[in-house]
Amino acid sequence: MNTVSVQNVSMRFGDFTAVDDVSFTVADGEFVTLLGPSGCGKTTLLNVVSGFLQPSAGKIEIGGVDVTFVPPEKRDTAMCFQSYALFPHLSVAENLQFGLKQKRLPAAERKQRLNDVAEKLDLVAQLEKLPNQLSGGQQQRVALGRALTMRPSVVLFDEPLSNLDAKLRESVRLEIRKIQADYNLAAIYVTHDQGEALAMSDRILIMRNGKIEQSGTPTEIYNFPQTSFVADFIGDANILDATIIGQESEDFWRVSTEIGELLVKSDTPPIAKRLKICWRPENAQFGAGEMNSIEAPITHRAFQGNYTDLFIEMNGVAQRVQWRRSHLEDITSLSMNIRPEDIIFLEAMT
Amino acid sequence: MKRWLKISLLLMPGLGLILIFIGSVVYIAIAQSFGYFNLSGESGFSLEYWAKMFDRLSYSRAIGYSLYIGVASAFLAVIFAYPLAIWLRRPFAGSLFISAVLKAPLLVHGLVVAFLYINIISYNGIVNQLLQALGIWDGPHRLQNDSGAVGVLILQTWKNMPFALLLLSGAVQAIGDDLLDAAADLGAGPFDRFRRVIAPLAVSATQAALVIVFVGALADFSFQVIAGPINKQSLSQLMVFFKGYGRWHDAAVIAVTLMGLGIAGSGVLALFSRFVLRGGRLS
Ligand SMILES: Nc1ncnc2c1ncn2[C@@H]1O[C@H](COP(=O)(O)OP(=O)(O)O)[C@@H](O)[C@H]1O
Ligand SMILES: [Mg+2]
Repeated sequence: MNTVSVQNVSMRFGDFTAVDDVSFTVADGEFVTLLGPSGCGKTTLLNVVSGFLQPSAGKIEIGGVDVTFVPPEKRDTAMCFQSYALFPHLSVAENLQFGLKQKRLPAAERKQRLNDVAEKLDLVAQLEKLPNQLSGGQQQRVALGRALTMRPSVVLFDEPLSNLDAKLRESVRLEIRKIQADYNLAAIYVTHDQGEALAMSDRILIMRNGKIEQSGTPTEIYNFPQTSFVADFIGDANILDATIIGQESEDFWRVSTEIGELLVKSDTPPIAKRLKICWRPENAQFGAGEMNSIEAPITHRAFQGNYTDLFIEMNGVAQRVQWRRSHLEDITSLSMNIRPEDIIFLEAMT
Repeated sequence: MKRWLKISLLLMPGLGLILIFIGSVVYIAIAQSFGYFNLSGESGFSLEYWAKMFDRLSYSRAIGYSLYIGVASAFLAVIFAYPLAIWLRRPFAGSLFISAVLKAPLLVHGLVVAFLYINIISYNGIVNQLLQALGIWDGPHRLQNDSGAVGVLILQTWKNMPFALLLLSGAVQAIGDDLLDAAADLGAGPFDRFRRVIAPLAVSATQAALVIVFVGALADFSFQVIAGPINKQSLSQLMVFFKGYGRWHDAAVIAVTLMGLGIAGSGVLALFSRFVLRGGRLS
């Protein structure tokens, strides 16, 4: 069953359309991520779901009930804010129980839920402290705990990890995912960090200019981006303009590009005769191959630890290659090939 | 140069002057109430002025009346200012204009307003005429100098509300949208958001507004003289009355009473408002 159903929602501020005819659903226990660059309308969309904003058009259902015009205090959602939004005058315990008191739950049940969340989030020793006496990571956990004690149908996260340092981010990621699974909560998670989205999500919705550009599982999105925007936003991609020259066999097409003719293997036919294609830098194969061989001088290199970024140039077009190999210092030109199945058809050229 | 000496010297022109002025006035008032600084006879310590004052009915009545005006004005100003401060928390079309108009009373002297007010409510004033024209009243009513001091309270509220608004606006605006959103998200409707988030976070500003309005209204003279009840006297009125007869020691007793009530009342109001706004806790 779908916990959340967003139907043709638009949000306009004056002449500006921040969210443009967006539809999606979130199933019970599903973790859905809204991913997109800053300003693409993620927070606005989340605010429409939580009720802080009323959409200019469209409909929101939670648990099958139309809540489009229900105020936030009456919606069964709980938000984990980017700024944490902890009440500075209340102790951690009081912050965690804020919503429970609002619901007028009996003291025994409040205490039980408080202890449950405090234990899960390792906050037992912090309960009497005020928010400003906590570290960033602890504040983040209080914000999460405050939402979880409500046992909502859906938890909404607005870039909850953006104020944490990189190491902490990775551990909290896992923690959030584990707790979400424990409680079997539906979750909508907003982020502009593709790594976060890939690592955490059951499903990713890529947003651009208020619209959903593509949706799918992390592997689908990564392996089969449909547009150059998605290809570039998730992972790294070499994007080329291509013209279809001919179809070799059922799944094989021959294209001409700035870096020469290439053979492409694709389950789906190209969308137009002239279109964008891409290949991932980590998919380059070392040495000349039977097809799609490339030989080009290396213009720059950047050591990244577990791999090295090499930039090669062909006919004035720069391409990026990720090389998982040391001892590259003496190489000045690269001989490589791209397997046809590693090349992806994208959108038509305009 | 020694550090404390340097600091003292630097503070001298400002703080020093203030302390000397306030200190000397307070000192003289207290000393005078105990019989010193006699302008027309022998000076010397005496409890006589206090003792006699405590026996006067006009004194205890004036204390009660002034406390009533002070406390009621303080609460009325804050009660009217709070919803406005919350309403004007986030800018909207016309909000700047509205808040400018609301603050206009700060620029008009109280006496001017008091005269305007008694004009409007006078026996043949527009309020009487309007209510008769509407058929609500059969004939003119006497509204001036009403015995409940409603006139004084209206004037005090009118004059002090903008000041309370100024203080409360600052505090309320400092509360982030996300905090109120979080409260709403956790199930708090508008009143609970006020009770559980805004009020506790604006305690200091509320205390300041209550105390400042209280101290001003406690010592009210001009509104009382123009619009106050004929049969009641405020402490300031009583003080001026004694001074008019050259009874400086009695006037000083009342001045010291006013100061004492101001301090004690402020403390009580501050504690009370903290207790209420923090939802029944003082810490
Ligand atoms: N209240 C508002 N009034 C006008 N424009 C707004 C408002 N809220 C958001 N916007 C605009 O909508 C766009 C999307 O904002 P937002 O949803 O916050 O983006 P994101 O969270 O993806 O970074 C931005 O261009 C922003 O300026
Ligand atoms: Mg945002």
